Amino acid sequence: MIAGLQAYLLVGAVLFVCGVICMATKRNGIGVLMGVELVLNGANVNFIAFSKYTALGLDAQIFALFVIVLAAAEAAVALAIALNFYNNHLTIDVDKANRLKG
Amino acid sequence: MLFSQLITKLIQDTTEKSLPLFGVELCLCVTIVLMLLVRLFSADRVLPACITAVVGAAAALTCSWLQYRELFAQSAPVSTELFTGLLIHDNFTVYFRAFLSLFLLLTVALTSLTGIPDEEDGPDFYSLLFGATLGMMLMASSNSLLMLFIAVEMASVPSYAMVGFLKGQKSASEGALKYVVYGAGAAGVMLYGISLVAGTLGTADMSLLSERLAAVAADGSGGLGDPELRTFALGLLMILAGLAFKLSLVPFHFWCPDAFEGASAEVAGFLSIASKAGAFALLVRLCISMAGAEGAETLLTAFGVGLGVISIITMTLGNLAAYGQDNLKRLLAYSTIAHAGYMVMAVSAMVVMLSDTAAGDVSRSVASAMEGLLYYLFVYLFMNLGAFAVIALVRNHTYGETIGDVRGLISQAPVLCVVMLVCFFSLVGLPPFGGFVGKFFIFAAVFNAGSSHSFMYVLLAFGCLNTVFSLFYYIRVLKTMFLETRDEDARPVPVQFASWESAFVLTLAGFVILLGVAPYVMSTTANSAAQALVMLQ
Repeated sequence: MIAGLQAYLLVGAVLFVCGVICMATKRNGIGVLMGVELVLNGANVNFIAFSKYTALGLDAQIFALFVIVLAAAEAAVALAIALNFYNNHLTIDVDKANRLKG
Repeated sequence: MLFSQLITKLIQDTTEKSLPLFGVELCLCVTIVLMLLVRLFSADRVLPACITAVVGAAAALTCSWLQYRELFAQSAPVSTELFTGLLIHDNFTVYFRAFLSLFLLLTVALTSLTGIPDEEDGPDFYSLLFGATLGMMLMASSNSLLMLFIAVEMASVPSYAMVGFLKGQKSASEGALKYVVYGAGAAGVMLYGISLVAGTLGTADMSLLSERLAAVAADGSGGLGDPELRTFALGLLMILAGLAFKLSLVPFHFWCPDAFEGASAEVAGFLSIASKAGAFALLVRLCISMAGAEGAETLLTAFGVGLGVISIITMTLGNLAAYGQDNLKRLLAYSTIAHAGYMVMAVSAMVVMLSDTAAGDVSRSVASAMEGLLYYLFVYLFMNLGAFAVIALVRNHTYGETIGDVRGLISQAPVLCVVMLVCFFSLVGLPPFGGFVGKFFIFAAVFNAGSSHSFMYVLLAFGCLNTVFSLFYYIRVLKTMFLETRDEDARPVPVQFASWESAFVLTLAGFVILLGVAPYVMSTTANSAAQALVMLQ
């Protein structure tokens, strides 16, 4: 059996939903960032599927390559900020980030 | 075509057509590289980073001024596609380039006056600042969904780092963490939305969006019952979520007060103005690129009304939440949220007018709605930067940013108080300050759009009510500054009349008044930038 476009999109959608759930429920800052990676990769699966089945073609593959690079750049900055937060608060629990409110 | 011919054509296109029109961005890139090189050869003792930054920003401003002179002198609007159609160069782009480089120059001037990055951190800070501005310029000129995402990320990632720049402070690291977590999440959702939109329409080129959307709508039933159109609407909603995060619209505004309180006042000012300008440019480009798709008018009208609803909630919540604030940066963060709401009113009016099939030729009224938005952004630059500059200057002397720190300031620094008065009255929208004219333009455009959809009258009513609400919390700060006496133990704020600090803030206040009494100085420029985008569509 050859999987069609819908099957790939389903995988992408599952990854996306897992990522969103992960972002919403994880209390650990690193866990939230892992959720973001899942969302980005869900989108990437979509792009590659669209590149094969629709008129989007190679544009979509270029898109996916750029997303991989940007995800790495974003993760680098996000981890640096998480480390900085850990150095100041001795925890990475996002619920403990409650000094600023109102 | 042979591969070698293709490459030759590409090189020719890049070097002869694209790069000369890309001068402003190249100025910023060169400045970033120079600043890092200067540090590498440890020449930063001779040449401090702020000097390189001022020169770089001034070069970018000159370059965009030249582009402005060349483009706005022509009678008909011009538009050129750069880099094989990834970017677009038209009056609208040039307007935002000039706006952002002017703002960059002012921000660099402010940071060198207040000394927020010390000499050691200067190159890092200015590299981040220039990088973020570069991203915002690309946001304003992007013509492809790929560029849209890259530009948003390019503007966001340095901003995260800038918020957490005050390394030892608990609140700075907390603000940065919240900003990066929300920001990365919003970017992920936006990317997923982009994948859906690009997939259903089969193109990433924004200039083809309306054509493809019409084709998709013609294939199916045209309404939301059509699965392809439904997927498109879902994708559009997700892209909007990403942009709403950058614009700090409700319900994506949670990061804004925390990030502003954690960041230094200079960075908060930068985020509140530049990142908002870039995001509005992108939102307008996206809306215009979808306009005129036959068969999808109901969808687009719903989109416009939806923007109106978001705008009502955003400005009401921003204004109400600002009441209880004691920290001035937090108060201004909520004021920023409210102002994003006012500005979205213009975009909402624009979309509703564009998707009204019965109205005939709407390009003139759409252009005037966009003119209002552009004018408001330009005034907002001066009035908000002025307010943040006063906070930063007071902080340098009192080490605090609460309302208590400015109590009775009139006895020690009358210049700062008067500038704050001008900026706050302009933020409320009182004549004769610039904010009044900007708000008037936007409200007039919304009133015009009322003939296309009656919801616009509701929007207008909420806009007016909110203007009245907002008066009170601004007045509360001004009353503390002018009418109360300074605490005995409060640290003095010795800002003289004849000093660089005073000259800087007075210049900003001067522009706020100038834009209020002589609107034609900017409104013709804003109008021709707006016309270019509408006419060429």
